[in-house]
Amino acid sequence: MTAASVRRHGVERARTRFFQLCLAPSLAVLAVITLAPAVFLLVSSLTPLDLTRPETVGDFSRPLENFRLMLADGRLGNSVWVQAKLSFWTVLLQLLIGFGLALLLNSRDRMIEALRTVFLIPMVLPPIVVAIIWKVIYTPDISPMHWGLSVLGVTIPSLITDPDWALTAIIIADTWQWFPFTMLMTLAALQMMPQELIDAAKVDGASAWQMTWHVTLPFLRGVLLVAGLFRLIDSIKAFPLIFILTDGGPGSLTEVTNYYSFQQAFNFSLLGYSSAITVVLLAASIALSWVIIRAIGWGHRD
Amino acid sequence: MTSERRILNLLALALAFLAMAPFLWLLQMSFKTNAQVFTFPPELFFTPTLENYAALWNTGFRQSFLNSLVVSTAATVLPMLLGVPAAYALSRWQARAASGISLWILASRMAPPIAFTIPYFLAYRHLGLIDTWAGLVLIYLTFNLSLVIWMMRPFFDQLPRALEEAAWIDGATTAQGFWRIVLPLAAPGLAATAILCFLFAWNDFFFALILTRTEAMTAPVAVVNFMNYEGWEWGRIAAGGTMVMLPVLVFSLLVRKYLVHGLTGGAVKG
Repeated sequence: MTAASVRRHGVERARTRFFQLCLAPSLAVLAVITLAPAVFLLVSSLTPLDLTRPETVGDFSRPLENFRLMLADGRLGNSVWVQAKLSFWTVLLQLLIGFGLALLLNSRDRMIEALRTVFLIPMVLPPIVVAIIWKVIYTPDISPMHWGLSVLGVTIPSLITDPDWALTAIIIADTWQWFPFTMLMTLAALQMMPQELIDAAKVDGASAWQMTWHVTLPFLRGVLLVAGLFRLIDSIKAFPLIFILTDGGPGSLTEVTNYYSFQQAFNFSLLGYSSAITVVLLAASIALSWVIIRAIGWGHRD
Repeated sequence: MTSERRILNLLALALAFLAMAPFLWLLQMSFKTNAQVFTFPPELFFTPTLENYAALWNTGFRQSFLNSLVVSTAATVLPMLLGVPAAYALSRWQARAASGISLWILASRMAPPIAFTIPYFLAYRHLGLIDTWAGLVLIYLTFNLSLVIWMMRPFFDQLPRALEEAAWIDGATTAQGFWRIVLPLAAPGLAATAILCFLFAWNDFFFALILTRTEAMTAPVAVVNFMNYEGWEWGRIAAGGTMVMLPVLVFSLLVRKYLVHGLTGGAVKG
């Protein structure tokens, strides 16, 4: 080995050491703050942990008891059904509104470009502020909506305390908060649509409507799928809106699974049982994340 | 401009106003006295008052606002210090390992917050971290560290390697090349990432609700507490909401190009 190649090996080693030094702290910290809690959650889901009963700590005598209880828990079953309705309607509405607005705003017009920023505001507000905004709108004494309708001669009940309307009220607020997300993703994809595709359809004499249905929509299928999946996972986490607007009520009509789990843990101290529910929620979001990674071929593309 | 385009523009303008109305309503409420809030028909032209803000500032809210600032700043600086070099290493050295941990990173962004809250709550009770700044900063790392790594890696990928390699040939070490050549070029990415970290920490409600009591309570939790105990003080609630949203509204519109990228844990380029 020549002196020069020895030196080059030394440089290579130093470089590798530098990269290891860059990467190791992050991976170590991530492992401690994310993997360790996940394991901890799994372990506590195997116990009847209840903070008001110290003897339940580390009681592994019947490890699958929580999961057996879950199957027989009617309120949990109800929460899954509420979750399904909330997820279905919010994802559907956000996709439709986001897609429609993206089509409308896909223009080089100066005013339209300025408006795009305005439409982003609901999404960038702190979730708690979104909840306060809708609390105001749904409180009859001070609500501009109730006032407006009363001028038209229509009186409606307070939506968030009315059993027929409470979930719809949450769906409306959530849709308002998150339509900008699907809009933004769709808009970004629209701007990458190849001009030849548009020109070819125009040459064939396609109407605006045919163009949307046969050219634009197929082109956007992938983006709409990924946007919908992200919204679906996020809808499982719905919390501030429900906490502020309805507290899961009336009864348990707006109690989604995440909220039920929160109440079991932090209102009733049943941390073991809540952990078991959360393990299932976590598994669902990891599975959906995996679907997203497959859908966008992420990690292989970059 | 064609007449069709003009109609579409008008439609877009009307929809924008409709989408904005709920937000503007809260804003104007914060400048009204409580009596004005309950007045119907609502006065659209009134003399704005700052009394809600003044009253709010003289309660515990000021401390909560400070807590939010301190915690969000720390939850920005710390993940940046840890994550930026890691992103560089993943970009230049272990690109293949990166795809292996992509699910891990995305899952920690998408996991329901309660999945972290239960173990952290139990651990913090033993460690004495309930209701402390440190406790919040640590749990905010769970989403901000992965955010930094996955936001920054594509920025580094885009920088041509030839630049650092030229520096290496001139005798610079890898660290010097990173510090003097790569980081300055990645400055826009660093700024956008830092702002997003700050936003996500600032906007958090759930973790702060469960892991703080009084001392380290953040502004969002303080506003909600206020609403629960003095629910009729709508002007003051609106002022609290406005103070929570104003700092982040400005920032987030600055980084609108990167919003989707950040919200999807870096999985999608907006």
